[in-house]
Amino acid sequence: MSVPLSQMWTVATYVLRQKLAGRKRYPFVLMLEPLFRCNLACAGCGKIQYPAQILKKNLSVEKCLAAVEECGAPMVSIPGGEPLMYPDIDRLVAELVKRKKYVYLCTNAILLKEKLDLFTPSKYLSFSVHMDGLRDDHDEAVCRDGVYDQAVPAIREAVARGFRVTTNSTLFDGASPLRMREFFDEMMSLGVEGMMISPGYSYSKAPDQEHFLLEARTHELFSRMLSKPKKRWRFNQSPLFLRFLMGKHDFECTPWGNPTYNMFGWQRPCYLLQEGYARTFQELMDTTPWENYGKKSGNEKCRDCMVHCGYEATAVDYTFSSVKGFVETVGVTLTGKL
Amino acid sequence: MTLEGWVPDVGQYLTLAEVVEFAFDYRGNTTIVKADGTEVVGYIFNRNTYGPEPYLEYFEESGEGPFTLRYSELANVKFTGKDTAAGNSWRAWLERKEREKAEKATAAESVRDPDPHRG
Repeated sequence: MSVPLSQMWTVATYVLRQKLAGRKRYPFVLMLEPLFRCNLACAGCGKIQYPAQILKKNLSVEKCLAAVEECGAPMVSIPGGEPLMYPDIDRLVAELVKRKKYVYLCTNAILLKEKLDLFTPSKYLSFSVHMDGLRDDHDEAVCRDGVYDQAVPAIREAVARGFRVTTNSTLFDGASPLRMREFFDEMMSLGVEGMMISPGYSYSKAPDQEHFLLEARTHELFSRMLSKPKKRWRFNQSPLFLRFLMGKHDFECTPWGNPTYNMFGWQRPCYLLQEGYARTFQELMDTTPWENYGKKSGNEKCRDCMVHCGYEATAVDYTFSSVKGFVETVGVTLTGKL
Repeated sequence: MTLEGWVPDVGQYLTLAEVVEFAFDYRGNTTIVKADGTEVVGYIFNRNTYGPEPYLEYFEESGEGPFTLRYSELANVKFTGKDTAAGNSWRAWLERKEREKAEKATAAESVRDPDPHRG
């Protein structure tokens, strides 16, 4: 595990406060999408297919900050689109850091090197670089040659300048466990703080509809990829979520764990499904029919979903809700055995 | 399968609410035909049918918005804009990669045997 202690402490105390307040549903990570524009068009992405006037729009920093306040989550992930194309990204990040929010700025790193001067290293800021595998695998996933070779020097530069850098990898059917193990070695040798991995979600709007992972295949892939994990590998995510991906844990989805805000409003019910928008965070929480989502609901859109934005919140909640969960998390963290 | 170009025939077999559902799922601009006969081109990003007055929300083609329109003020929605989720650019990329692979294979073959017809 590579999540810094201060961040763990913030999350732990936040969860305990929610429990003490008797809140049944509470957010962990706000997914803040200030724009949908991207300089890539990846095969498995269903986030950027919009007409030109939508792609040209940006949320104002003020609206972003109001959403952050409204939601109250201790962590803010900024995906998109490509956040480094957002004209006010420096001001937005500075304001979030000032508010002591742990920020994950998700980027494909094409613009990272030239934009690094806009930011100041902080324990609250991590660049979460999209890397789906070694050179050929990554370039194929993002549908452009040369992107891996742009991202690697940008990661090195950011690490050298003292920024927190993590990677985030989305896996699809056809991923090779052996090549992914090589990829983990490679990323750790770049000096990243940790890696995040997740199976992809079968977005109905993504161009490639053939390579999304089904549940059984996900278990097989992650079990082979993470069996006997090397000591040098560090993952910037809950170890229980990794065990869930390997089929060693049975969790239910927490669709409200990573609420999503963008120019359309608060997205129902989660980051992946787009079934409408609420005008306020409270309206989202109060009026979304949550019982219609997750595996137990029988909703076929949720059947094979094992994505981090639905299940990592469950894993974290499990850790801090029971002695068993806490002991298991500590055990895995200390031994490194998944 | 795309709805691009579709002009729904709202009536006995297709309700306006169903057309709005299709439009909400459509990732392109539409022409919103209002009950008074006027038309506006825009992207429908939301609809709400829970309240007593169902409504949809859209951004105009100019980027202005969001605007709200009650179903009672709506006559039809035409799927006139390009479907941005049709996957055309991805298919073009795949075809190019396949072409490159085939060209590389042909080049490698000709290096191994520069003249296959030589006696």
